[in-house]
Amino acid sequence: MTVLREKAKLMSSDDLNRVIKRIAHEMVEQNKGTENMILVGIHRRGVYLARRLQKIIEEVEGTKVPCGELDITLYRDDLTMLFEQPMVHSTRMPQDISGKNIYLVDDVLYTGRTVRAALEALVDLGRPSSVKLAVIIDRGHRELPIHADMCGKNVPTSKNEVIEVKVTELDGKDEVVICERDAQ
Amino acid sequence: MGKILFKDFKVFNGTEFIDAREVLVDGERVSAIGNSLDSTDAEIIEGYGKILSPGFVDLHAHFRDPGGEWNEDISSGARAGAAGGFTTLVAMPNTKPAISEPSLVEYVLSHGRAAGASRILPSGCVSKNREGKEMAELLKMAEAGAVFFTDDGAPIATSSLFRLALIYTGKDHPRIMEHPEEMSLFKGGQVHEGKVSALSGLKGIPAASEEIDVARGIALARETCGRVHFTHLSSAGALGLIKQAKKEGLDVTCDTTFHHLTLNENAVINSGYNSRYKVNPPLRSKEDQAALWEGMLDGTIDAIVSDHAPWHMDEKDEPFQDAPFGIASLECAAAVIIDFKNKNYPEVPVEMILRKMTSSPASLLTEKWQALGKIEEGSPADITIIDEERTRIVDCSEWNSKARCCPWEGIALTGWPVMTFVEGRKIWQDNEDL
Amino acid sequence: MNAMPSEIGQIVWRHRNVIDVDCFTREELYFLLDQARHMENVMDRPIKKVPVLRGKMAVNLFFENSTRTRVSFELAEKMLSADVVNWSVSGSSHAKGETMRDTAWTLEAMGADIVVMRHGAVGSAQYLASKLKRAIVLNAGDGTHAHPTQALLDLYTAWKHLGNLEGKKIALVGDVLHSRVARSDIIAFKTIGCDVVLSGPPTMMPREIDSLGCRYEKDPRKAVQDADMVYLLRIQKERQQDGLFPSVDEYHRWWGADADLMKYARPGALAMHPGPINRGVEISSEVADGHQSVILEQVRSGVAIRMALLYLCGGGAR
Repeated sequence: MTVLREKAKLMSSDDLNRVIKRIAHEMVEQNKGTENMILVGIHRRGVYLARRLQKIIEEVEGTKVPCGELDITLYRDDLTMLFEQPMVHSTRMPQDISGKNIYLVDDVLYTGRTVRAALEALVDLGRPSSVKLAVIIDRGHRELPIHADMCGKNVPTSKNEVIEVKVTELDGKDEVVICERDAQ
Repeated sequence: MGKILFKDFKVFNGTEFIDAREVLVDGERVSAIGNSLDSTDAEIIEGYGKILSPGFVDLHAHFRDPGGEWNEDISSGARAGAAGGFTTLVAMPNTKPAISEPSLVEYVLSHGRAAGASRILPSGCVSKNREGKEMAELLKMAEAGAVFFTDDGAPIATSSLFRLALIYTGKDHPRIMEHPEEMSLFKGGQVHEGKVSALSGLKGIPAASEEIDVARGIALARETCGRVHFTHLSSAGALGLIKQAKKEGLDVTCDTTFHHLTLNENAVINSGYNSRYKVNPPLRSKEDQAALWEGMLDGTIDAIVSDHAPWHMDEKDEPFQDAPFGIASLECAAAVIIDFKNKNYPEVPVEMILRKMTSSPASLLTEKWQALGKIEEGSPADITIIDEERTRIVDCSEWNSKARCCPWEGIALTGWPVMTFVEGRKIWQDNEDL
Repeated sequence: MNAMPSEIGQIVWRHRNVIDVDCFTREELYFLLDQARHMENVMDRPIKKVPVLRGKMAVNLFFENSTRTRVSFELAEKMLSADVVNWSVSGSSHAKGETMRDTAWTLEAMGADIVVMRHGAVGSAQYLASKLKRAIVLNAGDGTHAHPTQALLDLYTAWKHLGNLEGKKIALVGDVLHSRVARSDIIAFKTIGCDVVLSGPPTMMPREIDSLGCRYEKDPRKAVQDADMVYLLRIQKERQQDGLFPSVDEYHRWWGADADLMKYARPGALAMHPGPINRGVEISSEVADGHQSVILEQVRSGVAIRMALLYLCGGGAR
């Protein structure tokens, strides 16, 4: 049995929203506008982050960028090692993703395995012209050659630590905290 | 053979517990019953309050010999009986070939003797080769030592054969034992027609099947003044008919089995249709089971039998629907019934059960064996010692029987036979009870 | 649409083998339906395949012919990237001279991870599961006893159309006595809160119908009255030779579903059938092909629900 002990707050609600705004601007800048752009949030928190990005871009650019959600459960590479199967969530794309610029959104980038699974899932759904990755926190310890194109904050961590990005929609508040696993 | 003095036992004489605490065996017979008996030259066995009972008499067991020896043979069956506290076992004749001529009766007797364990008494078929057509040589088989006539495994095929056999045997010869079943209601049957058939979709064997054949047997007994013993009764309805017939004064008797008294159709359902519960007649409803206990108490049921039906694991260990019928129980039957009675009918005295395992079934055997099932001066020293406190887990892998599964496998039961004697000779002892 | 009671969220899936639907709670059934919805989504993709069971070996062990069920399982297994082996044994294991115990051990020696079995004997799926140490068993029908995946796909089809199934009424009409589909459906629909009413010839009903926990109406119009679902069971014409009903014509006239019978049900009630259908026996073409029929949807649901079960029971570490 392990418990998570909160060690420090990395971002307040305001900090988090500022980061999301910056990433929204970076996306539009990199994409040179909103044309051919599709936001895809990775379940579960990435979905809410992608919707917020969509809203900000709409406020700034006046265009509603299509937003999808991606569940990578069926593409995970560690399923044969788990004793209980994780629940599958919905995968929904607003339109055909072929020829589009996909902006994958997730909360934390760690080993890179989630993103690898997401890329495989995306390729099964169509042939996008490009895929870019936006995350709130990059905590290092990559196990695959994957990097974030847009990142809120780089946080060096130890493997014993856990980063929790909380969003109001799921967790009742916006904040980012770093926790430590205590063995009990 | 010397003397044995059984000291400090609760002595059950086949009818009741008596005041005496000691039994002296001299050679093959009981020579004295009392207290402070002369122990000169006698081996002394201390009972510490255990029960000393006449050896159990089982009127109905299948030994698959000749023809199915990989499932059981007379020797393994006789040793299984000994380990279960049975001193006399009646072998059913539905073997291959069926026991329907004197030489085969002698085969069973001689193989039984050679086993050196429980006494094996043969029964013979009513019909030649158990084909249900012509009457077998009943008188010659009786002379050779058959103690019952039965086509068990099936009812007597036609009413006319049944009637002729009753008239032919009359009152002087072995009784006719009828397997009560109306075969046209059986076809493809697997379980009791009721809850278990509804839930599984398995073809049901209605209780009416038994009732119809019992009604036929009673009508023929009445008409011929013959004697019919109905075996492995399972249903309330059939029992009711026998109760009435007895009241009427007809010479009809019946037995039920250890498993029908202690299990019902819910066991089949709860096991997820495990073949170890597959038996014919099938385990019936809870109400039928309760009626059997009532029949035990009111005297309608004369005996409890094992209907020991052993199968090699390769035959029995199959999906329910593909497996053969039959429960092997000899080695745990006594514990099964004692444990069940104590848990469910604590007010019923244990002697009621023991009577139906000793004196009462013995009285249904032929003239020669009427002294069995009793502890009296001069009676054969067939003795079973029962430890009411002993708790053991049923483990079929240790059995003398060749069967390797039963409904009670892995279950802890309390009240076990611990020693068995036939004619003064110890044929079995629980090794952990030294 | 797709109403799932809000209290049902993430649950821990504890089942490895699926022998009958009686092992599932109402919450688990809803969870399963929800997971099947996501699986159906995979079926709509240009590439109908996800890698979740990659490297797992699924054996479809069929002792009875059932092309539909076998193909449905096979599609589900392939969409989840399992390696599929079809093992058909004509007749029973006995006829082949091999006990099921040996068959089970052979399967494990070959490295099977998932065994889908159809067998004519009641209790065979449970038996097989008890003999396998590593591989899981999904029962694709054991004699007259159970057909859990059929019941679950029926539930899924009904749920997609009717939403929350609490308090909805389903009439099952036909040969309940010999029907594993009926037995599993009764349990599934009752567990999820439906009112289940049976109808059909009295000779094709279990004697102790009460033990199934549902009502029986000889007159199908009474059974179908105000029903939300009318489920027609397949009649095997051989049953007529067993003397259980006098003629196909009489059966159809009394218990066959035609437009007239459907009028007694609620407007928009679903007409369901496990297939393959006997037109003009238990169902008329006007009902089978009519707007109320969801028979082909049931076929599609079968693949989705089997994918969900294969994923939940068949993936993971052993």
